Amino acid sequence: MHPTSGTRPRRDLQPTAAESALLTDLGRVLGEDGLRTSALSRATYRRDASFLNADPLAIALPSTREQLAAVLRACRDHGVPFTPRAAGTGLAGGATPTGVGGVRPLVISVARMDRLLELDAANRRAHVEPGLVNARLGRAAAAHGLRFAPDPASQIAATLGGNVATNAGGIHVLTYGVMSQHVLAVELMDADGVVHLLDGRLPEQAGLDLRGVSVGGEGTLGIVVGAWLRLLPAPQAIGTLLAGFHTLEAAAATVGALVTSDRLPDAVELMDARAIALVEDYAQAGYPTDAAAVLLLEYEGLPAGVSAGVDTAARMAAEHGATQVVRAADAGQRARIWKGRKAVAGAIAKQAPDFFLQDVVVPRSRLGEMLDAVVAIGERENLIILNVVHAGDGNLHPFVLFDRREEGVLDRVFAAGHDIVTTALALDGTVTGEHGVGIEKRDFLSQIYTEDALAVQQAVRTAMEPSGLANPDKVLPTTVGCLEARMVPEGAWV
Amino acid sequence: MSDAATMTTDLAPIVDTLAAAQRARGQLVIRGGGSVLERLPPTDAEVLSTAELTGVIDHRPEDLVITVRAGTPVEELSALLATHGQECPIEPLAGHGSTVGGRLATALAGPRQLQAGRVRDWVLRVRLVTGDGRVVTAGGVTVKDVTGYDLCRLATGSWGTVGVIAEVTLKLRPIPTTSAWFTTDRPASRVLAELYRPAAVVSTDEGLFVRLEEHPDDVVAQAAAVGLVAAVAPTLPTTARAAVDPSRLAELTSWAQAAAIPYAGFVGVGVCLLDGDPDALVAAGARAAELGGRLLVLDAGATTLPMRPPPEDPMSERVRAALDPQQILLDVRRPR
Repeated sequence: MHPTSGTRPRRDLQPTAAESALLTDLGRVLGEDGLRTSALSRATYRRDASFLNADPLAIALPSTREQLAAVLRACRDHGVPFTPRAAGTGLAGGATPTGVGGVRPLVISVARMDRLLELDAANRRAHVEPGLVNARLGRAAAAHGLRFAPDPASQIAATLGGNVATNAGGIHVLTYGVMSQHVLAVELMDADGVVHLLDGRLPEQAGLDLRGVSVGGEGTLGIVVGAWLRLLPAPQAIGTLLAGFHTLEAAAATVGALVTSDRLPDAVELMDARAIALVEDYAQAGYPTDAAAVLLLEYEGLPAGVSAGVDTAARMAAEHGATQVVRAADAGQRARIWKGRKAVAGAIAKQAPDFFLQDVVVPRSRLGEMLDAVVAIGERENLIILNVVHAGDGNLHPFVLFDRREEGVLDRVFAAGHDIVTTALALDGTVTGEHGVGIEKRDFLSQIYTEDALAVQQAVRTAMEPSGLANPDKVLPTTVGCLEARMVPEGAWV
Repeated sequence: MSDAATMTTDLAPIVDTLAAAQRARGQLVIRGGGSVLERLPPTDAEVLSTAELTGVIDHRPEDLVITVRAGTPVEELSALLATHGQECPIEPLAGHGSTVGGRLATALAGPRQLQAGRVRDWVLRVRLVTGDGRVVTAGGVTVKDVTGYDLCRLATGSWGTVGVIAEVTLKLRPIPTTSAWFTTDRPASRVLAELYRPAAVVSTDEGLFVRLEEHPDDVVAQAAAVGLVAAVAPTLPTTARAAVDPSRLAELTSWAQAAAIPYAGFVGVGVCLLDGDPDALVAAGARAAELGGRLLVLDAGATTLPMRPPPEDPMSERVRAALDPQQILLDVRRPR
């Protein structure tokens, strides 16, 4: 399922005649500042936050829609595919510039198109450019007593265009839903540089919900150049609870009880002993280091409901044998509890030079089984795997730690990743909850969907993006020979 | 997909009907319970009914999901879920027989969408028979799933034009501990601003109505803070539905008030239900259009009203053609 070997980046690659012609055109549109072709730049844009990577032709950094349209038309005229990208925090290789048939794609970064175009408090919505960072919208909304609900862990770097393209999730999905629920309209630029307004701002739609299809399109349906996003009132009260457990099973069982209680928590995060040890050492969040698992729970809304929710959660945690239950007394303590959760990736860097982050979902009632299976897979492959789980959603993020210099380790890492996914599927789960399909999960789709379903998916893709130049080779399994199609093209390394 | 075989057997009559229509170069309209279709002018197209396609396939209360056949009446679903203390806040339309499939296909929702969100946000998986007869599933039974393109949302609100929705998996939630309707004399905009996420705020010709769904102490505190008085649920008009930006709704309700026609505007949402004779509805459509919105008339007799959805954009036409190349499935809002 994964490229397991390859060569170092090819720094000597000479552009073909078509590529040279494209670069000349792009230079005219973008100037020196907006077009990067050096080996160093190309190396920088080889991958997103996954480690699937490939050599791009060049990197275009348009600042305006007009520039972007001209870039896309140039790609079309020269038949060169493109890979849209923003902050590159994606974890599935969606922004990895793989080409088709040996043609290197142009990476098009929308990071410079980063304006908040309008914050319409009366309609509780914001019109944003794709490069605007998620957390910046949150801060702007807060000034109006509003909030933007989707909060992926990467929100201080991840952009809203990327959040739209991947249908990002976050910590508060359980009651607020994934990104798509918060996208009212999408402006999608096609390969001819034409903007399509996929509009769902009016409460009852007249046509097909193509904005719904475009969310999670991973750059294969065009480039998101703008979006209207829903804002919600900021909660009046927030209650946060930290509970430690002797066993993973007890923590998972508590989640099951909470999800079927009479009030849903707004966030339920689970971290296992390895994750606790790592973040405590790094961030001193106050987690019990003798616990096999901790749950981080949050209730938002009105004071009585929040207080009752926290009481219920504390009682249920105790009933399931919690060894420690801490209620955040104030905003400072709440921030400290969440600091541990948000510091996981940073903490890992101290422990191991590399990690491979999985993203699978199982029905919430199968969470305990899935966690047991992950532990067993780690033991079998002799790998350290730590579990950070959006437990309320049944969405696991096992981090597989390794050092790429260790001989043969990658085969074990990929074997573990593969087994985690197939285990999730066997438990009636799915292969990605919020990171997207990209390249990494592409070939699993054949196990999930029938041939007819895949054909329909492909037909919708072609209908929305007829040129075939937008991020080819992503999301849907390719129909060409299997081994070649699975490999990241020439220049790949891991 | 262990259930694929049985489902396909279930769906054989639908596949056959579509194939027959293809051969005859005919057209079909899909009928659920008829709560919308019977309110639209009749067409010459053959009716494909999902009335036989009823029942729960799989209910997992512990996972907050349920899978039902599309012809299942919403009221039946709600009654079943209530026995587990759960709900899916998709509201049936007025009258009887509103089906789950019908609610998805039209995506028309009631006043609770202010807090509960739109129909599209409760759909986790659909099984669809496309216009060209392919039985496909999209989405999954987990609450998060970004595997492939979101064809659940493509089907939701498609008015039956990409395929027949045969089976639906819905997200559930606990029934709110307390829910109650109130009324108040205060202006709608202030009420919306001062309450934290009310379940519904409905501005009608008989006053302003508010629904709260919260912890009992919060309901009492919110009601006291804003001066709400207990009331029964407002009566909702059924003849037409206007949709405008939430910030333009007050202009539409003021117009309806002045025109002395019954109305119920969903404050914070932008939907306004209206009753009235054809002349009043023509005027309402014009007013909605001036406000950047639209009007949908649900009156079988209103054959002469010119209020139709805007023409399709080329991208939507291509997507439709990909799933229903022979244009068998008729959009009942755009009779040809």
